[in-house]
Amino acid sequence: MTLSKCLEVEKVVKHYSHNGKHVHALDQVTFHVHKKEFICIIGPSGCGKSTLLKIIAGLDRPTSGEVRFQGETVKEPHPKISMVFQSFALFPWRTVLQNVEFGLETRGVPKAERRKIALELLELVGLKGYENAYPKELSGGMKQRVGIARALAVDPEIVLMDEAFSAIDEFTAQVLRNEVLELWEETEKTFILVTHNLTEALEMADRIIVLSTRPAKVKHEYHVSLKRPRNRSDSKFLRCQKELFNILKSELEHTIVRHKLKAIHEHFKIEDMESFQR
Amino acid sequence: MAFAGNLRKIIHGRHGRRTPQNVTHGEVTPKFENWFFILPLGAIFTCWELTLRFGFISAKTIPPPSEILKVLLVNLLTNPDFIISVLRSLANIGLGILVAAVMATPFAIFTGLRRRVDTSLTPLIMIFGALPDVALLPFLVYWFGRSASAAILMATIVAFFPIFFTVREGVRNIPKDYFYVAYIYKARKIDVYTKLILPAVFPQLITGVRLAYEFLWEIVLAIEIIARIHGIGFIINFAVEEGSLTYAFAGFFMIGIIAILLDRLVFHRLEESVRRWHE
Repeated sequence: MTLSKCLEVEKVVKHYSHNGKHVHALDQVTFHVHKKEFICIIGPSGCGKSTLLKIIAGLDRPTSGEVRFQGETVKEPHPKISMVFQSFALFPWRTVLQNVEFGLETRGVPKAERRKIALELLELVGLKGYENAYPKELSGGMKQRVGIARALAVDPEIVLMDEAFSAIDEFTAQVLRNEVLELWEETEKTFILVTHNLTEALEMADRIIVLSTRPAKVKHEYHVSLKRPRNRSDSKFLRCQKELFNILKSELEHTIVRHKLKAIHEHFKIEDMESFQR
Repeated sequence: MAFAGNLRKIIHGRHGRRTPQNVTHGEVTPKFENWFFILPLGAIFTCWELTLRFGFISAKTIPPPSEILKVLLVNLLTNPDFIISVLRSLANIGLGILVAAVMATPFAIFTGLRRRVDTSLTPLIMIFGALPDVALLPFLVYWFGRSASAAILMATIVAFFPIFFTVREGVRNIPKDYFYVAYIYKARKIDVYTKLILPAVFPQLITGVRLAYEFLWEIVLAIEIIARIHGIGFIINFAVEEGSLTYAFAGFFMIGIIAILLDRLVFHRLEESVRRWHE
């Protein structure tokens, strides 16, 4: 059975300037995502994972290369791709219900239908009874649930998650991860999660795209063959974790060495340090 | 014991001492607590009255509040000029705020959203804002005469700056992620303004309007006195010059009453409604 290619990231390159400095963020990033897959993108901090996700979301354009969703190039946000944010990004002046309805509102869905969909989703994410609460009254985990409900309300093909669990306490995050996995299995949508948490990636993904340090390339595509539900303390899991860590470690070491060499270079102004870097 | 209980109620309020268990989010203060200031105010009036009754200060320097209130009531009920002049001042203030808000808000939003416009224009506006606006008054009177237009124009200029700065700050503080949410969920350009920017800056707009309102009360009355433009300030000045201190004070009290009413009935309500969701 060939799974259709939902998302194709093809040789994406991204350059931008930040505070006058030129940043080469992404270097020929290429990978594919199939329908109903759960993909995690991991990499060292600052490697450009979020930049990549923004390009996939249509919030940014690549310098060269393209992202194709269902065969068509992504130039702007696509109605069938939605996103969950690390900072939750709920509108504080709207109630929980109104926040979930936001995507439907902008699409012109009539009020009664919006309400029905939003209420169903709130029940699905376990927030029944909180419809008229304001985000200010909710904990981090609850806010993210609203964010997830909002993302699902528009019935997307792909749900992007930008470090969605990184700003929540570990205990709640654990619960939320399991709930997201359940939602994934129930709704049969494609999920792409960007994270820096190795264990999280192993718990959730079918496939893990490992990015190198900046400029980010796809260093490795790691297929997770562990059976679900996955157990953190399982010996097989721990072995995979070690493998993955070793893949990442070399990237980190490379960065550390590179930075140290750079510091020495700056300090002594030695011209041909390049030869030492091999 | 009953007294101690009542005393406790007065100090800690109807709900008792606020402990983590009984503080709820978004709780709005019960209506009558808003009017508690009447108690200390009554105390001040009593002292004032008694000072005059016992002759510590002669009634020529400053009339007793009982007299003032009598005059105020009489004039409110029988003297249309009094009411009209009060309304004139209110109109000057109200129109000044309205025009300033209508002009400053879009400008502030535009400037807050665009970094380049901000760095080039805002310092200029800051310089203008620091200039003493009262210095413009002679020019305005020269161009528009001793009319309400001069007063309203002056009021607009004074009100512009607080509204501009507070709204601009509000726009700059909108987290970038909110814009991403708007774009991801396919909000149209108009939606970004009506569903994101305007609700997000609304609290700052209220703050700006409130600041402008507080400045304007002083400025408008001052220019009525200085430029002799019709309004309650003019009346007070005129009355003092004529020697009718009581009438002047009645006007003064009227201002106080209106200021308090507007504050409690309008601004307080607005701020409470914002506090429900504002962190």
